[in-house]
Amino acid sequence: MDRSLMAPRPTPLLRQIGALIGVIALVTAACGTSASPAPTGASTAPTAAPTATPSGPLVLKVATTAGITTWDPVKSFSTEALYMANIYEPLLWVNAPGSTDQFRPGLATSWEVSADGLTWTFKLRAGATFHDGEPVTAAAVKQSIEAAADHGGASFIWGPLDTIDATDATTVTMHLKYAAPADLIASSLYGAWIVSPKALAAAAADDTYFETGVDGGSGPYTIESYTPDAEVVLAQYPAYWGGWSDVSHYDKILLTITPEAVVQQQMLDGGEADMALSIPLENIGQYKTNPDYTFIDEPSFFNYVGYFNVNKKPLDDVRVRQALSYAIPYDDIITIGAQGYGTQSHGPVPAGVFPYSADVPQYKQNLDMAKQLLKDAGHEGGGFSLELTYASENQNEARFAPLIKDAYAKIGVDVTLTPMLFSQQWERSKGDAAARQDMFLVLYWPTYSDAGSDNLWSLFHSSKNPFFNLSYWNDPAYDKLVDDAGGLTATDRAAAQAKYVEAMNRLVDQAPGLFFYDTKFVMPLKKTIAGYQYNLNYPFAQFFYPLHPAS
Amino acid sequence: MARFLARRLGGSALVLLGLSVVTFLLARVIPSNPAALYIGPRARPEDIARVTQALGLDQPLPIQYLTYLRGVLSGDWGTSIGTKRPVLEEILGRLPASLELIVVAMLIAIPLGIGLGVLSARWRGRGSDLLFRVISIVGVSMPAFWLALLLQIVFFRQLDLLPLTGRVDADLRFTAPITSLTGFFLVDSLISGNLTGFVDAARHIVLPAVTLAAYPAGLIARMTRSSMLEVLDQDYIRTARAFGLRGRLIANQLALRNAMPPVLTVIGLTLAYALTGTFFVEIVFNWPGLGTFAVRSLLNVDYPAIMGITLIGAAGYVLINLAVDLGQAWLDPRVRLT
Amino acid sequence: MTDAVVIAGRSGWRTRWRAVLRMDPLALAGLVVVAGLAVVALLGPAIAPYPDQGTGTANVAEAMQAPGPGHLLGTDQLGRDVLSRIIVGARNALGVSLAVVGLAIAIGVPLGAIAGYRRGAIDAVIMRATDLALAFPPLLLAMAIVAALGPGLEHAALALAISWWPWYARLARAAAVSLRERPFVEAARAIGVSDRRIIIRHVIPNSLSPIIVQATVDIGTVILAAGSLAFIGLGARAPQADWGLMVAEGRTVILDQWWIPTFPGLAIFVSVLAFNLVGDGLRDRFDPRRRR
Repeated sequence: MDRSLMAPRPTPLLRQIGALIGVIALVTAACGTSASPAPTGASTAPTAAPTATPSGPLVLKVATTAGITTWDPVKSFSTEALYMANIYEPLLWVNAPGSTDQFRPGLATSWEVSADGLTWTFKLRAGATFHDGEPVTAAAVKQSIEAAADHGGASFIWGPLDTIDATDATTVTMHLKYAAPADLIASSLYGAWIVSPKALAAAAADDTYFETGVDGGSGPYTIESYTPDAEVVLAQYPAYWGGWSDVSHYDKILLTITPEAVVQQQMLDGGEADMALSIPLENIGQYKTNPDYTFIDEPSFFNYVGYFNVNKKPLDDVRVRQALSYAIPYDDIITIGAQGYGTQSHGPVPAGVFPYSADVPQYKQNLDMAKQLLKDAGHEGGGFSLELTYASENQNEARFAPLIKDAYAKIGVDVTLTPMLFSQQWERSKGDAAARQDMFLVLYWPTYSDAGSDNLWSLFHSSKNPFFNLSYWNDPAYDKLVDDAGGLTATDRAAAQAKYVEAMNRLVDQAPGLFFYDTKFVMPLKKTIAGYQYNLNYPFAQFFYPLHPAS
Repeated sequence: MARFLARRLGGSALVLLGLSVVTFLLARVIPSNPAALYIGPRARPEDIARVTQALGLDQPLPIQYLTYLRGVLSGDWGTSIGTKRPVLEEILGRLPASLELIVVAMLIAIPLGIGLGVLSARWRGRGSDLLFRVISIVGVSMPAFWLALLLQIVFFRQLDLLPLTGRVDADLRFTAPITSLTGFFLVDSLISGNLTGFVDAARHIVLPAVTLAAYPAGLIARMTRSSMLEVLDQDYIRTARAFGLRGRLIANQLALRNAMPPVLTVIGLTLAYALTGTFFVEIVFNWPGLGTFAVRSLLNVDYPAIMGITLIGAAGYVLINLAVDLGQAWLDPRVRLT
Repeated sequence: MTDAVVIAGRSGWRTRWRAVLRMDPLALAGLVVVAGLAVVALLGPAIAPYPDQGTGTANVAEAMQAPGPGHLLGTDQLGRDVLSRIIVGARNALGVSLAVVGLAIAIGVPLGAIAGYRRGAIDAVIMRATDLALAFPPLLLAMAIVAALGPGLEHAALALAISWWPWYARLARAAAVSLRERPFVEAARAIGVSDRRIIIRHVIPNSLSPIIVQATVDIGTVILAAGSLAFIGLGARAPQADWGLMVAEGRTVILDQWWIPTFPGLAIFVSVLAFNLVGDGLRDRFDPRRRR
């Protein structure tokens, strides 16, 4: 099927903005002062054990930057995913890379796909209930997914869906318009939560129904209290199908919304937090040698990408773009932007996410090569200027953007740095073509675990009205490779991967963009907490159910 | 007095009306389309058209203003784009935290400022006068956000005496939760006999309150000093002083009372300063008040919230001015006649 | 802006200047700092130990070094010399402040002079406008304007000027009201000099001294205000060398790399203090009530 006929998959701005405001700190830390909601507090009270009050409930105290843009699980498309992932469940979960099985059951226990990739059948778990006591039924799944496809924050992920049927009380069948990996889509962190029909009906009648902090999930925890910008308390849902007796699960999770990384550091050191999800990257290294902590240092879903505006001279010349790619000080950018917690990207797909390949080539800084290429292109010694826009909310971009300016100055190219609010940077990139930027920095990540249909398509596939293709690049050969690969993903993932790698090789060679680095997820974890598992497929989410005090 | 009151109240109402026009116009200057902001970035043209109509943005400006005014008067201040909750609810929910901070700061600043000013005036020209003057000028020159950071370094990092940020320990909700009656944690915990809660809240408020008090204390001290100096020079005081110790006592009381009107004006002014000063203090101390909400709304162009905050801030200032005028009239009957 | 200054004659303000210098050690100290600041602002990068780092060039290898012989005030997260950044930032601080105060005077003084001299309806309109602008708590109007225009140094300066001019309008009006009854003005009017000319030639020049005193204090106050706006993200933006922004950038690491936010904050404090001291000295000289 011709992918150009499919609905484009814009990667929504809301998520970008939400993330830029709050979550950047969560993944790449070192958040600055901007956009700060208020937490309740931090103190020096030294408590050695992570388990809060004696004789009271077993409480896990977590410091996070993640604010709540909405409690509506259908609309959710931002930082609240941290909470949602513990309150709601999807049909399937994607396992961390390297696991034996790619998926594990969520509310579906088994599933199968027809040979043409068009019909997907899910068998539901028996005995699962929503927090309001209603059973999880096929009808509830149908309603939830239809709501998500209709008006969800991430509705576009359901673009391939034609109809969804409740075949019987415990069987759901999805009919797709074209072959697509419905298993990956159904395990998305956004737009795939299964919600109680009662709550859906209440939200249909009053679209602020969820916003006071009520939920309609089936997950292990339920919202006990919510103070905007301050704290969220999650409590066990006693009838959770997974049960509570296997290990000593935490009774309650107290999440303190703390926008300042430095405050989180103090909360962790002072014992006021058992887990702090964003420690300043500048100082996080000190926990590596601290015997009380395990230092988690894992690949993540995120990477930094730059766009060249290929419609503007001299960026329309591939040699100029290659020269500019050679001039970037990749290592310094990782040292400064990520404080070393990053790895240089191989194209726009972050390490560990399908269809990443370490065989995709990288540029290394080579100023002689850059100068030579400029000379070949008729710009000996540079002599032109470029304007680079970046999101002022993003402290990491603010720190490494000057390195680009410095480096380009060395090949005679003058760069004007223009920080703007992301929403303004975004608006300008779609406005009057003559007034658009020359270069654009963005922090990107795929909505669900398919960076082929997301990163590769969204960032560089041509479309009539560019959404995230802010290079405005239009390359039929690339488009065809990506389209072909997309059609193969549901039926032959290895063949799809091969096509995608070919596409990425072309991308790096043609250089419509810059591929800076994949960020890493780093977090010091107290050794008093056991059961922690990192899963890069769910950025922003931490799963509290498997956690328990170390014996 | 009744006529004076009526006139001042009428004047305040007019100023408030003018303020509502200014805030309304400011929101209309915002370069983005308000309807698009409202829906969010993935707005389709038909959504924008629908919301434009729903928000009345297709009406002429004067009509829009009247709609806005009616909403403000009836308690509908719009919905925050950032939190999706009613703006008035957001503001009122956070106001107690900010007010508690401001009240405690003023309780520090007023006695300190007047005390410094009086002593400085009494010992005019001596070394201690110079010292007090330097202290007060330092107070008015110190950037609040920087003072806050210094206090954090000293009292948290170096001395480990006081908490870094927040209003209470996160733990407190499990150990000794403060039941909210007035919204002032110090008062609520005392009323309910929750000593642990009181101590915790008090420890948390010290650094932000001191930070917020620095500028008002300095300004009040400066005004008290100059006002006292002026009064002390006047004939009746000199005469009273000539009558020995008892006269001296009377003179001091008289002088202070007569030096009060300008000081009262300055107190009103510093209160107004504290309304926005608390923004910077709250940001550094992560104080869950109006300031943190205000700064976030300003940065995110959450225009319904910005309008609400601007209006409530200005209304607060108008009220403070009114109170100062009434205070003046009470201290000095001549004021009522003007 | 608090204690408005009663008008002193234009004559003799030079001699009083000298008197200030002789008498008030605090004002003298302030004057020395202000002069130093002006020199630093003028020379800027020329006297910075690492001029290119001052203007933004990173030095990755030396990031976050504590104060020491190589870098007297240490380096920031990008390895830039903090002292050089502060020196380069002085030009920004002083420049913005002068621009704001200049603009506020340029708007406020003519309006105030016209209002005070002409009285009547035009006076009422102008004064109601100043009432309205002054009915906002300090900085709130400026913050709302920057939010509407978008963050940035120029927008912050414009917003500050817009919220500052009414103070000067009031000062100028007070002066004009008393001047219009003075014999030399009445004489000019009697011989048929136009109002416009009287305002430009007589009213404004003769009301300048309280305005100059006020402006001196305000230059400091505006440095503080612009720094505050930058601190919360509404003013200057990276990689500009701006004191308020530097404090904000260093805040993340305040507990371990305290020098990064502390020294730029100190620069703001010392500058504001110096202008306040000079302003106090001037005010004591010019204000007959306070001259003692």
